[in-house]
Amino acid sequence: MNKKLIAAFLAAVTAASMLTGCGGGEALADPAAAPTTDEAATEATGDDSAPAAADIDTSEHVVINYMTTGDPPEGEAKKNLDAMLEKLNGILTDKVNAELQIYYIPWTDYLSNYNLTLAQMDGSVDLIGTASDWLDAWPNAKDGAFLELSEEMLQTYAPKTWESVPKEHWDLCKYNGEIYLMPEDNYAQWTNHGYIYREDWAKAAGLDKVDSWEDLTAYFQYVTEHQSDLGLNLAWDSDGTQYGQMASGWVSSHSDFISIDGLAANALWGGTKADPYTIVVPQYDDQEMMVAYAKEMAKWDDMGIWSTDVLNKTTSANRDDYRIGKVAVEQHHTQTWTDLCSHTDNNTIYTDPNAESGFFWFGEENGNVVRLNITHGAMAVSAASANPERALMVYDLIRNDKECYDLFNYGIQGVSWDVNDEGLRIQPEGYNPDTQNINGMTNYWWGRNDDLEIKDASRNWDAIDPMYEELDAAAIDYPYGQFVPDVDEIQSYIDNINEVYTNDMKLISYGKYDDKGMTAEEAVQKLHDDLKAAGIETVTAALQEQFDALYK
Amino acid sequence: MTKRKTTVVEGSPESFSPKKRTWYQTFWRYRILTLMCVPAILFFFFFSYMPMPGIWVAFVDYKYRKGIFGSPFVGLRNFEFLQQSGKLFSLTRNTVLYNLAFILLGNLLAIIVAILLNEIQSRWFKKVSQTLMFLPYFISQVLVGILVFNLLNYDTGFVNEVIRHFGGEPWQPYADPHVWPVLMVIIYLWQQTGYNSVVYFASICGIDAEIIEAAKVDGANAFQKIRYVILPMLKPTIVILLLFALGGIVRGNFGLFYNVIGQNPLLYETTDIIETYVYRSTVSDFNFSSASAVGLYQSVVGFIIVLCANGIIKKIEPDYSLF
Repeated sequence: MNKKLIAAFLAAVTAASMLTGCGGGEALADPAAAPTTDEAATEATGDDSAPAAADIDTSEHVVINYMTTGDPPEGEAKKNLDAMLEKLNGILTDKVNAELQIYYIPWTDYLSNYNLTLAQMDGSVDLIGTASDWLDAWPNAKDGAFLELSEEMLQTYAPKTWESVPKEHWDLCKYNGEIYLMPEDNYAQWTNHGYIYREDWAKAAGLDKVDSWEDLTAYFQYVTEHQSDLGLNLAWDSDGTQYGQMASGWVSSHSDFISIDGLAANALWGGTKADPYTIVVPQYDDQEMMVAYAKEMAKWDDMGIWSTDVLNKTTSANRDDYRIGKVAVEQHHTQTWTDLCSHTDNNTIYTDPNAESGFFWFGEENGNVVRLNITHGAMAVSAASANPERALMVYDLIRNDKECYDLFNYGIQGVSWDVNDEGLRIQPEGYNPDTQNINGMTNYWWGRNDDLEIKDASRNWDAIDPMYEELDAAAIDYPYGQFVPDVDEIQSYIDNINEVYTNDMKLISYGKYDDKGMTAEEAVQKLHDDLKAAGIETVTAALQEQFDALYK
Repeated sequence: MTKRKTTVVEGSPESFSPKKRTWYQTFWRYRILTLMCVPAILFFFFFSYMPMPGIWVAFVDYKYRKGIFGSPFVGLRNFEFLQQSGKLFSLTRNTVLYNLAFILLGNLLAIIVAILLNEIQSRWFKKVSQTLMFLPYFISQVLVGILVFNLLNYDTGFVNEVIRHFGGEPWQPYADPHVWPVLMVIIYLWQQTGYNSVVYFASICGIDAEIIEAAKVDGANAFQKIRYVILPMLKPTIVILLLFALGGIVRGNFGLFYNVIGQNPLLYETTDIIETYVYRSTVSDFNFSSASAVGLYQSVVGFIIVLCANGIIKKIEPDYSLF
């Protein structure tokens, strides 16, 4: 009898503990929970018939969660961030009775986690940093993760932002006639890719400067021959993920191709400067150009520019190695070059007075460069946000209010930054770049504002200004800002195309096709055949149809 | 199920009573046993049956705000991409062959190890070797991937350093797809054998000591003891574990393959399994529906395989079949 009782008791306890265990998980797992919160949110916003600014009810104190990509700061850095946030939240509470918290999406697998967080739709985030080219702004807008921002809402709750963004720019933020994004359209930056290299070594190699792929080969020839004299680990400690940038860089330099952003990671489709609205895929159409590319890259591979098993590398510390002179190039964009060419504490290569960093940008040979799409950085409001109005009010302040802007972007004046006599931003005494770089913690890339920016004194403006001028003179505006492709019907083709392109292009870009017993011609032919089999012509035709409907 | 029930009923003396018991009476009679089953029933109800309607996501164009059941129905469109890739056959083949190798060799080695452990007389040595074999199981797959890369890579790998030291030609496995089936199986066995052998070791320990003593009295030597006592007694365990494993035969070991092979297209020919392919091609557009469609395909195929295997076993040894 006793045994029976104990058994019954044990079973009951286990069952009870399981039930409580389930209670916690259920809310997350239950798919029905998402639509309910969401309906509540839309209803709340739908009821507003644009009250005048003075009528806005801010009696309830709310917390606005701002979601950004980036690793959350720890220890001392976190303390400094919190000190800034406390000050900022004091102001935000005074002005709109709200406070801001930062919700980080760490860099590891950031795109998956970013999308997953948005898909939860549980109201855990309000303001969402997004981008149409490197974060899935449009797919998420389509899937219903972002709130439609009506003109009345923007006029009422984010009036300064509404006024500062011209109508043409708002038009570029629309999908199906609704505004989803608030663009970072007043901030000069260049994110066109290229190779950052050492000008002093290029001179030693007999080159005045590197301004073509052929020059790069000559430069690599020199640095690999003098690798140990120069103290290099490798000419370029590339990881296996750079194949796409390299290939599209080659295409930019050898054609007048302009790619369409946001279709797929490899940006295969686009038009040409001469005929922008006829869709082409140079990697598929122009085999001759790709064979030349394949041969050049095989040369690089033979020189031993990257590690032999580069395809199995997913991470490398190449940029940091560049700062300390352990590698000879870094492949990234102009904005990164402005950092690497500047004589900051991190860049120890400049302890050598001869050291200089140049930038060869893709397309430099024929002046093929496109200005940044204004939705390269933008802010959206979550459709599940409980307080979308207040989220807009907070955004309006951190984007347009001088005091909030400085705090959020630079930190506390006198601690994290200061202004010198020339009005440039400097680092105050005792500044520690590891713990006081507020800019690197708030990761605010979704509404920076040149009206409020203070130029950084540590940047090498003597080199940067001419580069900006050079790019500005060559660049054209991004021509497809209004094109939001509808890919539902062709997504499965795009997935498969992406997959075969990635596989074949990795072998071509790293000159590894000979390991498979192929010649350059055969490797390019295989790419062509695989893309064809994966349905690239179907996708091109479908996109052309959408292009025609929009532009003709 | 029916077979078990009848044996139980026949075995119990009450089964001869003329009055047939109602459902409730049966329930009340076995209430303690039922109560002890409750945690398991609840577990499967909440974690296996409740989410099941969610399979519907594989047939819709999923929109976050409309929810799974509110999103528009698109039929089998989500299944198309796997078939369009033209790789369905080679992916399924790779997945199934690897799993077969893992299941058969894994269990074989686990049985051998369990028997050997059982034969070891020194308690101290037994414990140490068991622990050492168990250890790799706790190493994360990510670390396994890094370990393998540091052993085998061309420029700085340990194996190639040794080969170079002795003046040999360095070996480049990361450019040769044909060595990987063997390498993957070795890595898998290294990692899993210690863990797998525990179940077998436990069932050997559970064998009635009297039977083994009787065999000894009859003059059986160590090999005869294994051949005629231990192995036959292990048979039910082996069959059940094999049946369970077969259900997952089209489910690849994503962690292992993704971390060891990474995204190196030179090796995909022999190492690409359904999971890694689906991951690579859907991670870019975050398509819940396509991923669920693939999961459903794997479940259905796995279900059919379990039914077939169970049917075959039922024909040969009815006592060992699962149902």
